[in-house]
Amino acid sequence: MKSVRDTQLPHILHLEVPFETASQAQTAVKVLNPDPILKPQDFHVRYSANGPKLCLDFESVDDRVLRVGVSSVIESVKTILETIDEFT
Amino acid sequence: MVNLNKVLPRNGRDYYLALGLEGSANKLGVGIIKHPLLPKHADSDLSHHCELEILANIRDTYVTPPGEGFLPRDTARHHRNWAVRLVRKALQEAGIDHPSELDTICFTKGPGMGAPLHSVVVMARTLSLLWDVPLVGVNHCVGHIEMGREITKAENPVVLYVSGGNTQVIAYSENRYRIFGETLDIAIGNCLDRFARTLKIPNEPSPGYNIEQLALKCTNKDYLVELPYTVKGMDLSMSGILGYVDSLSKDLFNHNTKNKLLFDPKTGEQLVTVSDLCYSLQENLFAMLVEITERAMAHVNSNQVLIVGGVGCNVRLQEMMASMCRDRSNGQVHATDERFCIDNGVMIAQAGLLQYRMGNAVQDLADTVVTQKFRTDEVYVAWRE
Repeated sequence: MKSVRDTQLPHILHLEVPFETASQAQTAVKVLNPDPILKPQDFHVRYSANGPKLCLDFESVDDRVLRVGVSSVIESVKTILETIDEFT
Repeated sequence: MVNLNKVLPRNGRDYYLALGLEGSANKLGVGIIKHPLLPKHADSDLSHHCELEILANIRDTYVTPPGEGFLPRDTARHHRNWAVRLVRKALQEAGIDHPSELDTICFTKGPGMGAPLHSVVVMARTLSLLWDVPLVGVNHCVGHIEMGREITKAENPVVLYVSGGNTQVIAYSENRYRIFGETLDIAIGNCLDRFARTLKIPNEPSPGYNIEQLALKCTNKDYLVELPYTVKGMDLSMSGILGYVDSLSKDLFNHNTKNKLLFDPKTGEQLVTVSDLCYSLQENLFAMLVEITERAMAHVNSNQVLIVGGVGCNVRLQEMMASMCRDRSNGQVHATDERFCIDNGVMIAQAGLLQYRMGNAVQDLADTVVTQKFRTDEVYVAWRE
């Protein structure tokens, strides 16, 4: 997990993506976790699994950066979902 | 001596299976290969004699309209749309019902465009976790080299790597593929592609292919349009040549009769055609490549050249290189055809499986982050002596 930060960025978004099983949600967390965020001072994201749900917590300096960052993560989640769908 | 059998195949089988995923540029490739487990590989230097069997080699290219290049975002979207389908198709072609039989999943770690690389690695990680198969991250350039060595059986060639994104002259020494010369600005394939864009001709199927076809129509091969010849020591520069030849072609299209190179100053008659320009550009660029390749051969005392990368399909480049090699003592040129020259999944599987057999698989998913910059000489080549 990322280190705890003392400053919180003003724009936040919480998303939950339902998977079929808890282990699928865990897989998604493991796949998403390694990639570094390009501008950590402007944008953070935390991935976690809550049962079969993938939880995404975003923080950002402004809504534009938030929108771009969220949509890129969602694209990755779509790829993971499609891969799991096709090969499970 | 090298032991390529350090890691044995899964489930006590007598062969290895590897899946290769390539997506560093506009081509998405999926390949599945098989290596037999042979006693001779336990103590030898035979990494170019793996007795490779290709079970599947499929590719889908993101094609842009003539006059346009491919942008990272759109290319990544193409890869995301097709990746899973291509893997499914490759597994069917290879007759693999249980993907967990695979020994390893190899993906391109870099160099290349960030977004397309990332779109493929996300799928690679998911597959690895689903099937419980270890990952191997492969340097794209090393993939080309190992593919070329296995196909042509060239033992220790000087490698000329020419593609849309790279131009390097490489030779092996002490566990590294060392870069002897390279481009200082743009790649040769990029130079040819961008000129093709100016001419509004497509870039399919490989960089410079349509320029090559146009150059064949050149009727006046004795007269070369003079272009800058920019070899800098062992390196090359090509952006100036591109700028110059672009401006020439614009003068040609606009019928700018003031340009004395292109039009007869008295009669205004056109002296040079687009084909002539293509021919001269190719001759000029390839002569530069041949020059630095020859110098690298002299350095390492080798008489073999292996041409890899998308521009390596160019027959004229192969001819020019062959004539240089003939003039040297008994030299040989090895080149492969478009199945292997152009980016593909098999080459990633080949280099990745060699790495895997040396016990070099990814232990932690944190080591699977892709990188746009990844030099050929950063890779430790454990599988050669």
